[in-house]
Amino acid sequence: MIEYDAEQKRMVLKLVYYGPAMSGKTTNLLKLHDLITQEGRGDLMVLDTTDDRTIFFDLLPFFLVAPSGLKIKVKVYTVPGQVRHDATRKAVLQRADGVVFVADSQLAEAANNFESFDNLEKNLAFVGIDIEKVPLVVQFNKRDLKNVASEEEIARVWGPTGVPVTTASALEGWGVVETFTKLLELTYAAIDRKYRLLEEHGLDGASFVRQMTNVGER
Amino acid sequence: MESRQTSNASANRLQFLVGEERGLRDVISEAEVLPLLRGAVRAGAFAAALADAEGKVLWSHAAPDAGEQGGSAGLRGPAILLEGEPVGSVLVKGEQGREEFLKGIAVMLTAAVNLLVGSNLKRMLTTEIHTTVVNQSYEELLETNRKLAASEARYRELAESLEIKVEERTAELKKALARLLQQEKLASVGQLAAGIAHEINNPMGFVTSNIHTMQKYLARFVEMLQFSRDLVAGAPGEAERERFAGKWRQLKLDMVLADVDELVSQSLGGAERVKKIVADLKGFSHIDDLGETVADLNAELDRTLAVLVHEIPPGAEIVREYGTLPGFSCRAGELCQVFLNIIVNACQARNAGLRIVIRTELSGDAIVIAFTDNGPGIPQEFLPRVFEPFFTTRPVGQGMGMGLAVVYDVVTAHGGTVEAGNSPEGGASFVVRLPLSSA
Repeated sequence: MIEYDAEQKRMVLKLVYYGPAMSGKTTNLLKLHDLITQEGRGDLMVLDTTDDRTIFFDLLPFFLVAPSGLKIKVKVYTVPGQVRHDATRKAVLQRADGVVFVADSQLAEAANNFESFDNLEKNLAFVGIDIEKVPLVVQFNKRDLKNVASEEEIARVWGPTGVPVTTASALEGWGVVETFTKLLELTYAAIDRKYRLLEEHGLDGASFVRQMTNVGER
Repeated sequence: MESRQTSNASANRLQFLVGEERGLRDVISEAEVLPLLRGAVRAGAFAAALADAEGKVLWSHAAPDAGEQGGSAGLRGPAILLEGEPVGSVLVKGEQGREEFLKGIAVMLTAAVNLLVGSNLKRMLTTEIHTTVVNQSYEELLETNRKLAASEARYRELAESLEIKVEERTAELKKALARLLQQEKLASVGQLAAGIAHEINNPMGFVTSNIHTMQKYLARFVEMLQFSRDLVAGAPGEAERERFAGKWRQLKLDMVLADVDELVSQSLGGAERVKKIVADLKGFSHIDDLGETVADLNAELDRTLAVLVHEIPPGAEIVREYGTLPGFSCRAGELCQVFLNIIVNACQARNAGLRIVIRTELSGDAIVIAFTDNGPGIPQEFLPRVFEPFFTTRPVGQGMGMGLAVVYDVVTAHGGTVEAGNSPEGGASFVVRLPLSSA
């Protein structure tokens, strides 16, 4: 959590899209920005890129107000996936309240996925976050491509870990909101345990998620 | 330890938090905003201001004659957004009835401030994260460097210790070989000594016994001669007496009678000495002792000196300063070899006027035997090497350099120590220390 100010009735949360280079983290945010109505979200801020690769991070802020008047701001970040930007990943990962790991479904990318997840574990430990406790969703992206890992294979690998897995094609725009919704549910549960969002602020999980994923009619 | 401190340091360095909340004042400054407000006034507004979300004016600018002109009520522009959140708005005052014009100015001013906010925020985020990243990368590089240096040092150490280990093992092997050689030599010397001793002992037995018998017989001869002499002296016949006396003189029997006892005694003494030498040789070789026996080391020293009698240069003085020693459980033959090697070494130190002092004493729970000579001593640079096998300062053919190596081996095998050094008077000294308990 970035900030909680009981007096000012203000809470700032941080969610992070992590994953190997070119797995589609920025595309996820772009689609979220496109799909979710202007109401309750800010603009997507894309910090400098080189050759379409994120070198700093992207930021998409969301806002909602609990019945108690508690203003909640949720900042959604991506990290740069390239190995050499590890320090930036650490900086972005600091005090994250939830993480989406965007994996590249292509068979050829399995090793990169593994390496990046290993890096996530290491960096979470580095910034003092327990990977067993932090809300975490794994998204297998690029399902629109051929030569991708089968769903059975994904289930076989990830099933035993208990980590929720979603599939998506960020480029085609499906699975993106579902992934975000899953992360919001888990994040709400974690924050509610500590800050009693329901009891003290009258905010239940369903409306938390609904307010943040208000998909406009298109 | 070091690496932990380092990672703490980089953790501490991660003070900057991506996502920290900022207000309008954190992102833009007066110097940036005032030109924009002035621009609005130049464009025709009486006054322009920037207020925060609560409506509090942060910065403002008015035309010099604004007060006289009065003008319209303030007109508020659309919200200025920071990370999508409204953080303030612009206020514009102007001529009555020109609201549309003023609205346009307000919108333009808002757009300009928004642009300023957006680009400043991006610049701040990228600069700050860049600084953090550079610092952190630098820390990480330093740590990598430290780790590399450490592993290099470790490998270097390994390589060095490997060399030392190889040297140590080689030295051990050399010693073991030397020891084997010496043991074999000892064994063959012992066997030879035992064989010779046996061969000499048998004839010496009957020689001694015969001499004893001869001594008895001689006594009878002497007695008979005396008897004959007395008898002749008292008998009549001048001529016979004269002949007897003449023959007595001719055979020099007075001298013979006086000498014969001495001769036989000396022969017996000689035979006894031969017996003793043989016994010493046997004792020295300890051919009969298998394993350990309890020995009197003073006696063993004497035995060694007895065997060595011909090796000791003429005129040399051997000073025995023996203390009282308890029985020492040891392989006495090996220790005799130790004493012999040290004494032989000392004998070669000096030709004329050699003086060797052998001192024994019980010191604490160890027997200490010190050999000191008055030779030239051991050169300082050789001191660490004198016990090395095959280390010799003598010309080729005059010793293999094994003597002191065997000394070292045997003493060590008995749980003791031997030190080579120089006495204050200048000669070499060897101190053998044998603990009573471990033997």
